[in-house]
Amino acid sequence: MTTMMERPAAAPGSAAPKKALIERLNLFTALGLGVASAVVVWYLAKTFLPQNTEESVIKTREDQVVLLAMIAWFIGFMIGIGAFIGPFRWVLGRDLSHDENMFYAGKDQGIKRYFRYTTDHKVVGIQYLVVTIIIFFVGGVLAMLIRTNLGYAEGGWLHPQAYNAIVGIHGIVMIVGTIVMITGPFGNFIMPIMIGARDMAFPRLNALSFWLVVAAIPPMLSAFWLGGITTGWSAYNPLASQAPPGMDGYIMFICIFAISTMVAGANITTTAVRMRAKGMTWNRTPIFIYGVVASVALALPAFPVFFLSQIMSALDRSLSSTFYDVRGGGSGWLYENLFWLMGHPEVYVILIPAVAALMEMAPVFTRRPLFSFNLAIMGIAGISGLSVLVWAHHMYVAGWAPLLNGPFMLTTELISIPTGMLFLVLIGTLWRGRLWMTMPTASIYALLWNFMIGGITGIYLSDVPIDAFLHGSMFVTAHFHYTLMGAGLTGALASLVYWFPKMTGRMFDKTLSWVSFCLVQIGFNVTFIGMFLVGLAGQPRRVEAYAEVFSRGNLITTMGAYTIMAGMLVLLHGVISSWRSGAKAPMNPWFAKTLEWTVPNPVPLENFEVLPVVTSDAYGYGKAKS
Amino acid sequence: MSDLETQKRPPVWKRKDVQQTGILWVIFTLIIGYVVSEFQVRTIGAPASSVMATTIQMMHVFTWAAAPIAGLVAAMAATTLLSKHHYGDTPPEDADHEIRNSPRIAAAWIVVSALMCLFAVVWGMIVLQQDSESILDSKAMNINVVGQQWAWNFDYIDNGTVRSEDLYLPVDKPVVFHVTSKDVVHSFWIVQMGIKIDANPGYVTETAVTPNKIGIYDLRCAELCGLLHAYMQKKVHVVSQTDYDSWIQNQGGQA
Repeated sequence: MTTMMERPAAAPGSAAPKKALIERLNLFTALGLGVASAVVVWYLAKTFLPQNTEESVIKTREDQVVLLAMIAWFIGFMIGIGAFIGPFRWVLGRDLSHDENMFYAGKDQGIKRYFRYTTDHKVVGIQYLVVTIIIFFVGGVLAMLIRTNLGYAEGGWLHPQAYNAIVGIHGIVMIVGTIVMITGPFGNFIMPIMIGARDMAFPRLNALSFWLVVAAIPPMLSAFWLGGITTGWSAYNPLASQAPPGMDGYIMFICIFAISTMVAGANITTTAVRMRAKGMTWNRTPIFIYGVVASVALALPAFPVFFLSQIMSALDRSLSSTFYDVRGGGSGWLYENLFWLMGHPEVYVILIPAVAALMEMAPVFTRRPLFSFNLAIMGIAGISGLSVLVWAHHMYVAGWAPLLNGPFMLTTELISIPTGMLFLVLIGTLWRGRLWMTMPTASIYALLWNFMIGGITGIYLSDVPIDAFLHGSMFVTAHFHYTLMGAGLTGALASLVYWFPKMTGRMFDKTLSWVSFCLVQIGFNVTFIGMFLVGLAGQPRRVEAYAEVFSRGNLITTMGAYTIMAGMLVLLHGVISSWRSGAKAPMNPWFAKTLEWTVPNPVPLENFEVLPVVTSDAYGYGKAKS
Repeated sequence: MSDLETQKRPPVWKRKDVQQTGILWVIFTLIIGYVVSEFQVRTIGAPASSVMATTIQMMHVFTWAAAPIAGLVAAMAATTLLSKHHYGDTPPEDADHEIRNSPRIAAAWIVVSALMCLFAVVWGMIVLQQDSESILDSKAMNINVVGQQWAWNFDYIDNGTVRSEDLYLPVDKPVVFHVTSKDVVHSFWIVQMGIKIDANPGYVTETAVTPNKIGIYDLRCAELCGLLHAYMQKKVHVVSQTDYDSWIQNQGGQA
């Protein structure tokens, strides 16, 4: 087999001489080629780019070097993983053969397929799961650093610069973790089986979306060594144009991640629309599918804007354009608008699949049908539709367009109507059900509690006069943690326990799931009620030191945070121990009626021997009674 | 909803779980409303302007308006939790019914939430209108505020060319702040007066307030502005008119 590519120097020496190129490429060749390209380009750029002198118009050499090296890393990594082989072969007129496609699907490769450009949706799902856990681990460690620093008013053992860098990296790491936490692992692994398909509509795009996430992470983590992301995750300009080169890592990360999200969005949407089993009409499609599709479809309008905003930021930093510089005719408000045009749909990208996943579990654990399926869909559709019309409520006090505060207050408060529908569906399903107490069941209650607090505090914040008091305070931080973590992460953890048997073939340890659930939920509420307290008392966000009056609330918050950490470590232990040596899972441990439980463990390569035909929806529980 | 309920035997309101939920609903509503508003009163502290007083009042009303909804969800959740439930590795029997929908409950739920939403929006608009009008008050004194990394400067433009790093305000006199920034985005927040507006480089934004209590209050930057963001704070001195006049003359301005 011939190829246009150089054979990477870092290819594993064990490769047999006759192996085809696609068999040689894996994570390690990708890392090797990525690092090598980055180093070479970094060296070339350092040597040949003009020096910053008194006369030079553009004095941004450092950012140019960093950005070029990161772009080289990205391209090198994607070549090294083999992302371009398929399209390239197609252009050459020698499309992949059946055997090669089966190789790409990970046939008979055991553990190795998890380190390759594998197209099987189940492999991608597991890859996403592991990466999500790693992302949360990093973000969680940073959160603990923040809380430890804020434990005492005079504590402040972190330098303000380091503190700001940690806050920024924690923010963006967690946002990305929560965006992928459900649609990544469960959207990829479970969704195609749930709709009765053999794979995704575009398997190669599926692999692409995952490896793009992997390629995106090193630039962001490199920010640790490049001065950090000192602007918070929102990276407002002009602060971002002052920030150290760590900011370039942020920009690069967002650009690559945005491409990944768009690719995944197109792929998952197409799969759900086109590949549902025979007889699976929209009325028989499980609610989880609606949640996943709404989530990734919302990302389709949101992330191109994010991508664009960061490209402009990169040009401002490296080539002295003035998109966001008021002295050159730009405006920081432009950035704020673009950012929140992504930022608000994005919170529903996180939230909707989490709620939908719990809606999927509610009938299973109450042994009765989902209450008002139609209302659930209306709620999801209503939230999705409205969420693109509310972005400027993040800018009530920006002074950008005071006359628009009224209209944005209206659209924001309207969202409470479809959100209320989701509550009714969940509580209506619990009502007079026959409760089967498991960790996912308890998670439904936890979600109702947390999301109620998150939702009602959201109504305070949507009101302009109240927001004029609370904006930019710890109250806001507590509010969005209640929605993204209290509701979103709770749904994701329940999904993990619920679908763990299908994904790993083993049951999640029951005791550990309960212990971690209790620690996380109690710790979570202690943490963020303490944060509401200091927010109402007037503590701003993102401060590394605070007035003495806030000590008590901050101490409470820090203690709660350590409880969450303990719970998360128990959960991590549960994942590892159950995966390695948990009880073997039966095919359908929850006696549920969706299609993913009709396939054996481990799920065969093409999922179904014979494609299923669906004749009813998946919620036929309960005894018929006149 | 009564005709729906009479179709069933026994009537819905006589069923034990419904009665239990009803009682819990009342209890939870009262607890939630009371605890949350106490929580707010104790943490926010005394307001130093009518803007802040209105804000606190709005939060209270929103709290009491939301309490019945939260109370209902909590009561239903508690009732289901108190009912017999099942542990184990195999599922319990199926529930005794297969109700999939209740158009009336759904409709009632939507109507109630729409009405509450309407109420919140209308009231919010009214207050917003009042706050916006106060910016146009021609009798108010004007102060230009300039934020920079990491300090505030105040130009008392009605009193000659006084520039100070301290903010002194006469009590009961409307004041309009014209806020801008030299470098990055800051946010001008006088905590106890409930006003906040971003300071943007290249633009002037406005906010207005009438401090109504003599005392010392907190001015904090509410937008991350770099290294020393946490320390970009000041005290706001609200003093009597005579004290203000003598302070401004000390600074070299005319009263």
